[in-house]
Amino acid sequence: MSIKANVPISLEEAKQLVTYLEQGDSASANALLEAASMKESIELFAEVGKLTRQLHDALNSFQLDERIVDLANDDIPDAQSRLTYVIEETEKAANTTMDAVEASMPIAEGLTEQIDTIMPEWKKLMTRQIELGEFKVLCNELDTFLSDASQKSNKLTSLLTEVLMAQGYQDLTGQVIRRVIDLVKEVEDSLVNMLTMFGEPGEIANTPKQSRKQTDKVEAEGPIIDADQRDDVVKGQDDVDDLLSSLGF
Amino acid sequence: MNKSMKILVVDDFSTMRRIIKNLLKDLGFSNIQEADDGNTALPMLQQGDFDFVVTDWNMPGMQGIDLLRAIRSDAKLKHLPVLMVTAEAKKEQIVAAAQAGVNGYVVKPFTAATLKEKLEKIFERLG
Repeated sequence: MSIKANVPISLEEAKQLVTYLEQGDSASANALLEAASMKESIELFAEVGKLTRQLHDALNSFQLDERIVDLANDDIPDAQSRLTYVIEETEKAANTTMDAVEASMPIAEGLTEQIDTIMPEWKKLMTRQIELGEFKVLCNELDTFLSDASQKSNKLTSLLTEVLMAQGYQDLTGQVIRRVIDLVKEVEDSLVNMLTMFGEPGEIANTPKQSRKQTDKVEAEGPIIDADQRDDVVKGQDDVDDLLSSLGF
Repeated sequence: MNKSMKILVVDDFSTMRRIIKNLLKDLGFSNIQEADDGNTALPMLQQGDFDFVVTDWNMPGMQGIDLLRAIRSDAKLKHLPVLMVTAEAKKEQIVAAAQAGVNGYVVKPFTAATLKEKLEKIFERLG
């Protein structure tokens, strides 16, 4: 609305009004005032009408956006199970790592103990101060130690490999968290979209509708968090091997 | 198995690349390079004389399945053995990978023994 329009009556109309009042023509003065206020009301009505129509459109588009329904019904609960999966996987990895460390410690300590037992006699041998009896004991101790040590270092290697493999959780949970981040971004966009719809009605038509989830069967999906409830996925390496061998692999 | 063969490990997660690299080192391989997706891997393969590829499936940029298809459709690379190590576990995906000419498929999480077994199987078959 321009500033001019905000003035209820024009200068000419005001002068006319003064003239009517001076002449004592109150009927004409009333008529003039009514006409002036009517002009205002018509503009107001037009504005209310426009707003009503925009609100109606906005509500309609809001209901039509199925993606929001999907988000609330499927994607948010799905995100919850994904995050639960992350907690479980990180917990499993932490426990595997700590189990391996706890199993490694006594092995390393045992090796140190054996070395400490052998060391005094070994020193004697090196300084040529060993007696024949002691030498025989040392030989036996060394024999036991060497076979023990090789066994124990093999055990340590396999425990360290377990620790290494447990770190795979970072990849698996990372892929799952990325999907949750994408979802959060989409919810954010939907909320912004909603605010835009109610704020600036002109924008509605320009906002592209979110496309439905891709249903491509070979589309990457990341780690399967609910393998038990699905029959389109393998449950582990054995299933993969069976499937591939059924294909002639 | 020729222990000095040149291997490319393709995965977007550096932790997983490290794990696979370490496992391969345990098995005696030391000539290993890394790439973080198909787009990085393909030019490396085209330029370098790689003997073996271990690739993830789900990566930003070029995915593992597309890298596999690109390798199979490249006259120079088409015989290159490819082992897929991925969390993708849908049957359709495994079938698609097989059809695209994958040499082995390992699902994550996997064990050191599984990786070793699949590698040996691939090289045994290649002779």
